[in-house]
Amino acid sequence: MPQFKTAAVLAIAIILQLSLREAWRPLSYIDFPLVVVVYIALQREAWQALIVGTIAGLAIDAPSGGLLGAGGFSKTLTAYLIYFTATRINLENALLRIPVLAAATLIDGAIYFFWQRSLGNPPSAPFVQTVSYSLIGTTTVGTFALYMLDSIVSEKVSLRRQFASRRRVARRGAHTLKRR
Amino acid sequence: MASSRTQKEIRQRAPLWLVMLLFANLIVMAIDAQENFTQQSVFKGGIQAVASPMQSATSWVSGTVGGFFRQLGNFGSTASENERLTRELAATQLELRKSQAAMAENERLRELINLKEKTGYDQVAGRVIARDASVWFNTVTISRGSSSGIALNMPVVTPGGIVGRVIAVSPWTAQVMLITDEKAAAGAIIGKLGESGALGSVRGLGNSGLVEMRYVSGLQKVSTGDYIMTTGQDGIYPPGLNVGEVVQVTQGTATQPHQIYIKPSARLDQLAEVAVLMYRPPPRPAPEQALPNVDKTKVAGRE
Repeated sequence: MPQFKTAAVLAIAIILQLSLREAWRPLSYIDFPLVVVVYIALQREAWQALIVGTIAGLAIDAPSGGLLGAGGFSKTLTAYLIYFTATRINLENALLRIPVLAAATLIDGAIYFFWQRSLGNPPSAPFVQTVSYSLIGTTTVGTFALYMLDSIVSEKVSLRRQFASRRRVARRGAHTLKRR
Repeated sequence: MASSRTQKEIRQRAPLWLVMLLFANLIVMAIDAQENFTQQSVFKGGIQAVASPMQSATSWVSGTVGGFFRQLGNFGSTASENERLTRELAATQLELRKSQAAMAENERLRELINLKEKTGYDQVAGRVIARDASVWFNTVTISRGSSSGIALNMPVVTPGGIVGRVIAVSPWTAQVMLITDEKAAAGAIIGKLGESGALGSVRGLGNSGLVEMRYVSGLQKVSTGDYIMTTGQDGIYPPGLNVGEVVQVTQGTATQPHQIYIKPSARLDQLAEVAVLMYRPPPRPAPEQALPNVDKTKVAGRE
């Protein structure tokens, strides 16, 4: 079931990425598939994060003028780096996700640009400007998107919420008992 | 216990999976780069052929969603009115929009058909089904491919002017590099061929939406509003196609060329239908035959 949810979320992210540019060009600076990749890597799901990174990258590369596989490479590596960090440092805090998203955007953009340039297919967009816009767009929208994904996809978060409400009820109960 | 062991195994195997996936991506990249170099797009064309139904579906979804939001915007402006009247108005507007869109589409298609008479070349009309999903390149995917006779490097135009050239072909789709891409270029002239000496080449400037014309002698008269045509010297675009209009000129000198910026006359940000010209450039003489010092008899004897 979680795999099905992940696949559905990834498909929606790819469709959004492919279609939003037609609605308004600046929206293409928001990298929705990368947000999904970061989310899964933060859940410390190594295998899923790597596969999702590769699929997301290749899906965006296919209709692009860039080299096929460059996006797959950059997103897979980014997924692993975030997974690696998440297994060593606690990144559960919502605020910590902002720098993680920003770093992921930077790493993904830099690796993608490096491969395109190295293999003789330099992108037409300037690196610093594109990465900067992407950083702003993906980090801003991605922070909210991660929060939404938490409530939709993550079973851990829903369990934590259930326990929190139970704890609250238990605390209230103890308080009223003390009063009596 | 079993679960923790599995987690440990996953953690240990993750680097191996990473290396395998990175290597697979690297191979795909290398094949694609090689195809770019040899001008064969078999691999990418295959991937695009598989992805084309999804791209068409995505294009349809985005069009529908965009239309829905536009309709919502229209509802907002009439929110204070009676609900029944609003619904009626919205329905009428929807009908009107549909008929306007149909009329506009008819007009565009008629222009595309007239384009054949104007240019004198056979053409294949296609719809834009996807735009480049990444922010790094300026390409679009159209709904016609090699099954319709489209081949690599064929020019793509609209009634307004040139759009770009075909850079990858699958049986049912083709990828078009827009003229605004930094890697796109075309031989061009300011004014009409034969009447003007302001020859140069136009090249894309990336995301700015403009193209730059280079190598135009500083001695030539150039001013804002002049129109640019193709010369056919690039071996891709036929001569006499409209490129755009000069929007900015930094005047050059006798030793320095003009710096000219052009706004493409094709509306590249609102492309819906395009035509691929079935144009094959005239064959060029082989370098060996063109060189003045080559012993022609030797060349002929070797053949």
